[in-house]
Amino acid sequence: MNKFIVLIFFFINFTDFDAKSDQFITRQGQVSFFSYTSVEDIEAKNNQVLSIIDISKKEIAVSMLMNAFVFKKSLMHEHFNESYIESDLYPKATFGGKIIDFDPSDASMQTRMVKGNLTIHGITKAVEIKTTIEQIDGSYIITGDFEVPVKDFDIKIPPILAPNIAKIISIKFRFEYQHYEK
Amino acid sequence: MKNNILFLIHLGILMGIHISIQAQDLLDKLDQEYPDDPQYQLATFKASRISIGHSVETRKKGVLEFQGFTRYWNIPNSRGQSFVADRMGARIGLEYGISDRLTWGGGWSTLDGIFDSFFKYKLIRQRSDGKGAPVSLTLFQNIAYRSERNPPLPDINRFDTFQDQLSFTTQLLLARKFTPQFSAQISPTYIHRSSSAFAEDPNNQFAIGIGGRYKVGGHVSIVSEYYYVINPLESFTTYDAFALGVNWELSDVMLQFKLTNTWFFSEEAFITQTPNNFNFNDGNLTFGFNAIFVLHTNQKEK
Repeated sequence: MNKFIVLIFFFINFTDFDAKSDQFITRQGQVSFFSYTSVEDIEAKNNQVLSIIDISKKEIAVSMLMNAFVFKKSLMHEHFNESYIESDLYPKATFGGKIIDFDPSDASMQTRMVKGNLTIHGITKAVEIKTTIEQIDGSYIITGDFEVPVKDFDIKIPPILAPNIAKIISIKFRFEYQHYEK
Repeated sequence: MKNNILFLIHLGILMGIHISIQAQDLLDKLDQEYPDDPQYQLATFKASRISIGHSVETRKKGVLEFQGFTRYWNIPNSRGQSFVADRMGARIGLEYGISDRLTWGGGWSTLDGIFDSFFKYKLIRQRSDGKGAPVSLTLFQNIAYRSERNPPLPDINRFDTFQDQLSFTTQLLLARKFTPQFSAQISPTYIHRSSSAFAEDPNNQFAIGIGGRYKVGGHVSIVSEYYYVINPLESFTTYDAFALGVNWELSDVMLQFKLTNTWFFSEEAFITQTPNNFNFNDGNLTFGFNAIFVLHTNQKEK
């Protein structure tokens, strides 16, 4: 009998049953970035961003492959990966953080701050991002936008091309989550 | 009682796990979620030429390249007063990406009035995720028509019929990006010339090209190429083509600077008919400058 109970406990532990029910994931999250200058407008979109939220712990994680960004011009894609973001060395950008004062049961739109660490080009910075969280049919949609200075992430831009690339890049995101099931 | 203790222990473990779980664990979980899509190496080389010869790179679909290739050299012991250099050769060309794998290109060179046209097909793409192909393989086939005689050099083909002036070059371009900085290529080459002016010259020639690039910054790389001819021409002495250069890319423009010993641009001409060796003597040392402008004819809609 005791052994049986221990087994059940083990089973519960390994399946991590309670954590699972609190987690929501998206595999088709959208992240886009924009660089507007008088010389050139550059924009790119990634539709394969992974993100997971844990509503009980109010945590969020985002991970994406840099070479999955789609540009209007194929040469921009090559330059972005080869010369600027160096995706051979740093294939992913990630974010991990907490949603401050998140109320999972609130059925209306709520605007919350997300505090966490953003890692791009192998450099990690603490950021605070304002997000809008919407609950639809027991699932969540998180959207928002923020700005990052290029120089924070040690991305080298040759002086001759400096007018083509904005000093501050604006980033937009939209994640539509579903229940996480392994 | 014992059950209760076990339950408490279990609860403790569970609590402990929960407290230790940070977003890092969520990130680790996401790492498992990446689909198993093949990841290919980007940009083994940047341009369609390493320096003088073709690289494994094909143009992306809808990309149209305008190319101006020039070479400058001196005539030995000349007392001429030409601007910059005694002689100049040029090739103007176009390249178009029919699909991401298939590229057509063509051009006209001033020296010998060579018209050339080629297709390049990327058969195998090197994977960057450690699985699949460790190298890229591109097939290259060109046809070149020599429209003029070039007086200082012997004419090695007959000029009787249209067909006499044709030649065909087939290359297997095999390259590997070893590190983000270093790529190397080996290019077995077969050249067929439709006619020979001299009976002792082979109509079919074989050569092996080796080339490499080393990136010294985000936008600048140092490149070198060498073509070894296995059965060279017999009627006059030829030397293997060699080039040492710097490639520099700027937004939509690619600039290639090089020192070389060959004046020609078309494969069959520069691989098999270079009449001088690579050294710093007048007439031998040739400075080359390629300018390539990239135009995207179909921009991806989002």
